[in-house]
Amino acid sequence: MAIFENRGTDIYRQAAATPAPVEAGLTLPAAGVFDIPRSPALSYILLLPLLFFFTGLLLRFLAFRTAMPAADITGYFDELCRWDCGWYVKMAETGYDRFPVPGRISAGNWAFFPSFPMLVGGARALLPFPTIVTASLVSLITTYMAVLAAWPLLNRDRAAYALYAAFMLSGPVSFYFTSFFTEPLYVLMTTLVFAQLARSRYLSASVAAAILSATRIVGVFASLAIGLQAFLDYRRNAGTWRGAIPALLGNPQLVLALFIAPLGLFAYMAFLHFWVGDALAFSHVQRAWARTVANPLTYLWQGFGNHPDEGWAPTSSQILATVALAGLILTGVLAWRRQWPAALFCLLAIIIPLAAGLASMLRFMSALTPLTITLMTILARRRWLFWLSLAAILLGAYTTTLAWFGGNVALV
Amino acid sequence: MRWSDRPWAMPLYALAAALALGELAVVWLMLHPNVPSDYRAYYIDRTTTCLPQPVTAAYTLGTIVDFRSGGPDTRELRPCGWEGPAGDGMHALGESARLAFAVPAQDLTLTLEMTGVTLPGPRQQTVIVSANGQPLGRAVVTPGKTGRFTFPLPASAIANGRADIILDLPDAVTTSPGQSNVRKRSIKLVKASLTPATASSTP
Repeated sequence: MAIFENRGTDIYRQAAATPAPVEAGLTLPAAGVFDIPRSPALSYILLLPLLFFFTGLLLRFLAFRTAMPAADITGYFDELCRWDCGWYVKMAETGYDRFPVPGRISAGNWAFFPSFPMLVGGARALLPFPTIVTASLVSLITTYMAVLAAWPLLNRDRAAYALYAAFMLSGPVSFYFTSFFTEPLYVLMTTLVFAQLARSRYLSASVAAAILSATRIVGVFASLAIGLQAFLDYRRNAGTWRGAIPALLGNPQLVLALFIAPLGLFAYMAFLHFWVGDALAFSHVQRAWARTVANPLTYLWQGFGNHPDEGWAPTSSQILATVALAGLILTGVLAWRRQWPAALFCLLAIIIPLAAGLASMLRFMSALTPLTITLMTILARRRWLFWLSLAAILLGAYTTTLAWFGGNVALV
Repeated sequence: MRWSDRPWAMPLYALAAALALGELAVVWLMLHPNVPSDYRAYYIDRTTTCLPQPVTAAYTLGTIVDFRSGGPDTRELRPCGWEGPAGDGMHALGESARLAFAVPAQDLTLTLEMTGVTLPGPRQQTVIVSANGQPLGRAVVTPGKTGRFTFPLPASAIANGRADIILDLPDAVTTSPGQSNVRKRSIKLVKASLTPATASSTP
C-alpha cells in the first residue's frame, strides 16, 4: 500500500458528501471516537505507528548509549527522565505536597496538574516495575493511541499520517511523549476534542475537554473551542446573530457540554482548597519559579535579542522564541484555513504560557496537536518534502535526544 | 418545540445546573483561601520574597558558623531567603532573608560577615537587621568587599528560646530584565555568630 495512494482523493469533496458540518483538516467528519475504518487502510493505520514506536525506542536508546557509553542499560528510562519528569515521578509515588512543603522549599508540586500522574499512579499499583518504567510504558501507549486518533484530523492523508506518527513516536522531541510528562495525555485528549467537534459531538468532546483541563491549565480553553464550534455550526445552518443565544441555550446537550468541559480544572481547584487551603495554588506557586507575567511580545523580543556571546549557534532563548513564533504562524495558518475553534485554542495555549516567559515553549508547541497536524499536512504535500521531512524527523530523534542528555535548556 | 417533545432535555438541563452550582461553589472557594499568614504573604499578597520553612535552629552559643562552601551544613539555621553556598558565601535571595538560632533568652551580640555582590546596581548594599520585630541596626556592605558587622541583640528580642533574625535588603538588584523579585541578589553571608553580650568585641 503506497504512502501517497490516497492523493487522488479530494478530501473536501469527500467531506461534502457527509451530513456532518465539515471544513478542511481538523473538522473532517469522524466515524467514532478513534475513527478506525474497516478498510485496507486499517493495517496501515495500526502498524505504521507501531513501526515508529520501535524505531523511536531504538534511536533514543542509541542516543543514550552514545551519551553514556558506560551507563547500565537498565538506567535508560531513568536517564531519559529529566527536569519536570522528576516532579511527576514523585507525584505518582507520593501525591501532592501539603503546606509547608516537606522538602522545605517554596516550590510545591501544586503547579503540576493531576490527571496524567494519577493515571500512572494507578498503573503503578498494578505493575511491578519502577515508577519511571511504568510511566514510560503508559506514555508510549497513550501516544500511540493519540496517533491513531489523529487519523481523521490528518484528512486521512497517509503521507501526513506517516510524518505525524514519526514525529510523535520517533521524532526529535519524542522523549516528551515517551518519558513522564503530561504531554501524551494532553495530545490524546486534544485530538479527541477536535475529532469529536469535527462531527459536532459536543458532549463527547466535553468529556475529553474535562480530562484535558485536568491535564494542563491551558486545556480549559477547549471549552471555548466547543462553544465556538457550536456557534459556527449554528451560523452554518443560516442562523441569525440575533437568534444565536436562544438557539444555543435551547440545545441542552451543548449547555451540559459547556459545564462539563472545564470540570477537570474545577475539580482540581476544589481539591487544592481542601488540601492546602488555596484553590489557586497551582497559579500562586509559580512565584517560587520566579515567573512574572508580562507582555508576551516583550518576552519574544527579549528572546530574539539574547545573542550568543560567541559563535553563530543560537541561544536557548532564541530557539524558544523561534519556536513560539512558529507556533503563532501555524495558528495563523489554522485561521486562514477557517479552522477557528482550533485556532482559538492554539492562540490561547501559546499566549498564556508566553505571558510568563519562554520556558518550556518547545515542549508546549510540540504538544499542540492542531499545530503539529497542520505542519505535517504541509510537509506531506510534496513527495520530496515528505522524504526530506521524514529523514530529518528520524535523524532529529537521535541528535535531539543527545542534546536532551546533554542538558540543553532549550528542551526543558 | 414543547418540553413534552424532548423528555430527555430536562434531565440534561438539571445536570448542567448542578454542575454550574458546583463550579460556582469552587469560584467562591477560590475567592476565600484559607491559608496561613506566611503562605498568604509569599504566594498571594506577594509582600515578601522569603517564605519561612520549619527549621530546628539548633545552635551552640558562641559558635562561629561558616557559610562558605566546605563549611558545616547550615540548613537548620536558614528558614528562607538563601541560596548556596556558592564558594565564598551563601547568596541572599530576594528582598529579605532569615536566620534562626536557638539560644537562651539573654543579651547577646550578633556578628555577621557579609560581602556585597558585584552586579550592576547600587554602589552599596544596605542590610537592615531585626529580630522578632525589634530593629537591631543596619549595615552598609560594599560590592566585592567583605565586612564584619556586630549588632546588639537584647534578651527581649528572643522569643520562645529562639532568635529569628531578619535581614531586609532594600537595595537588592535583579540579575536580568523582567526577573521576579524572588531572585534578586544583594549580599553573600560569609560567617555568623551569637555571643553573650559581655563577651562581645567592640563594634
